[in-house]
Amino acid sequence: MTRTADVAVVGAGPSGIGAALAAARNGASVMLIDENKAPGGHLRWTVALQNNLPPDLPDGVRGFELALWAAAKLAEAGVEVLSSTVAWGLFEDNTLGVTSASSSFQLRADSIVIASGSTDIVWPFPGWELPGVLTATAALRLLHLDRVLPGQRVAVIGDGDLATTVVADLQGCGASAVEQIRSIDGLTAGGVGRVNWIESDGQRTSVDTIVIALGRQPDAQLAHQAQVASAYSATDGVFVPVRDESFRTSDPGIFVIGDAGGVCSTARAFAEGVVAGEAATQGSGLSEARARVQSIEPGAVTPALTVPIADGTIVCRCEEVRAETMRAAIADGAVTINDLKRRTRGGMGICQGVYCNRTMATLISQEAGLQPGTIVPMTARPPARMIPMAAMADLEP
Amino acid sequence: MNRITSHPVFGERTSHDVVTFVFDGQELTALDGESVATALQAHGIAVLRTMPETGSPRSLFCGVGRCPDCMMTIDGVLNVRACLTTVRDGMVVETQHGLGTWAAKE
Repeated sequence: MTRTADVAVVGAGPSGIGAALAAARNGASVMLIDENKAPGGHLRWTVALQNNLPPDLPDGVRGFELALWAAAKLAEAGVEVLSSTVAWGLFEDNTLGVTSASSSFQLRADSIVIASGSTDIVWPFPGWELPGVLTATAALRLLHLDRVLPGQRVAVIGDGDLATTVVADLQGCGASAVEQIRSIDGLTAGGVGRVNWIESDGQRTSVDTIVIALGRQPDAQLAHQAQVASAYSATDGVFVPVRDESFRTSDPGIFVIGDAGGVCSTARAFAEGVVAGEAATQGSGLSEARARVQSIEPGAVTPALTVPIADGTIVCRCEEVRAETMRAAIADGAVTINDLKRRTRGGMGICQGVYCNRTMATLISQEAGLQPGTIVPMTARPPARMIPMAAMADLEP
Repeated sequence: MNRITSHPVFGERTSHDVVTFVFDGQELTALDGESVATALQAHGIAVLRTMPETGSPRSLFCGVGRCPDCMMTIDGVLNVRACLTTVRDGMVVETQHGLGTWAAKE
């Protein structure tokens, strides 16, 4: 079955909400696809007060309250919100492959707005695959969506705003000991069946949980599947789609906004969304929306992670590929990520390289002496999310 | 139990419906509406699966359905991501070893 809409927005975080509301305001039929149970993206598990937001948003409310506000606004605006639904492929003719628990269909839209946000930046260290080691997103969702502690004695790895938030939220929720480890250089963890120690700078600490809170990286897999032009972003340390002032990519029917195009603030993400929503519908508010984006700072620079990875360390978690296997393949001539993937299976697992692409690029850079910006990411292919084969079989041509 | 009794923003949890599920033969309770991974985390159960190559144990890692670490066998179906699956009364949840084994069809 093929469904149609004027505008299809993928991702209901701050940027997707901005785009959907702006497009609907201009009279377009808008479908907003989101893999979570309710709209809001990371705002749903954010308790911090949200300030300095654009004037069409409530100011000084907590993140999850903003998510609730958005859900009500989207309904009021007539946006068709498809929650618990994944858009896993972007094909010719602006057509998305879409799957939920109950149905699969193709969605063709005049404009596709990719607002798929960001993923956790991770970095391998010995022991990072042990139970009890988890991402900042997993930890924050446990704390604020589920009201469950990831553990009692927690080490938080990271030096930026994300680590600061995780430390404060763990302490506020009653974790008995929270330690922040700012540098990943030389980090080692161990334990049997669960992590029970971490060593940094020669100091060993007893822990039951480690949270990796190094920051966030753009995730625009659908745009990369569509092979829009992309370029290395020194700010984010990964390749991102190239966009014009309206956040339109080299394919005029595809927009990329918010974290997916470059990690940014909630205010900036929402404002970028409004621009794309206006541009996709030839709205009269486009120039004003563009001016607002210009007034908001772009995202902070994510420092490149280049610390050495010890032999024996798992680099690709899905396929269990270790650092020395990757190094041997690079020495043998696999100096592109696609080659390294074919040689080692690294990046071939179900995360689609989300948690190892960055590391593989750095290993190639270190071993072959190439600049990170010259190492293109692995080819993005559908499905961008794990779906049952039956979901694809149900698709009609 | 790892449940937060007094959340700094949400305060005390007032009332909630409880469901019962079976994990590796053991009856456990969960709050209605939460995920299997959350329910197990609340009970302090870390290991959700072991990996096919090394047999090493894995647990909740990404929390958003992107990685393979919480894949369990749920109601006989292999490779079900516990972090995305809402726990239900009577659900049978098993640690998945490696790629798992499908039960023989009758």
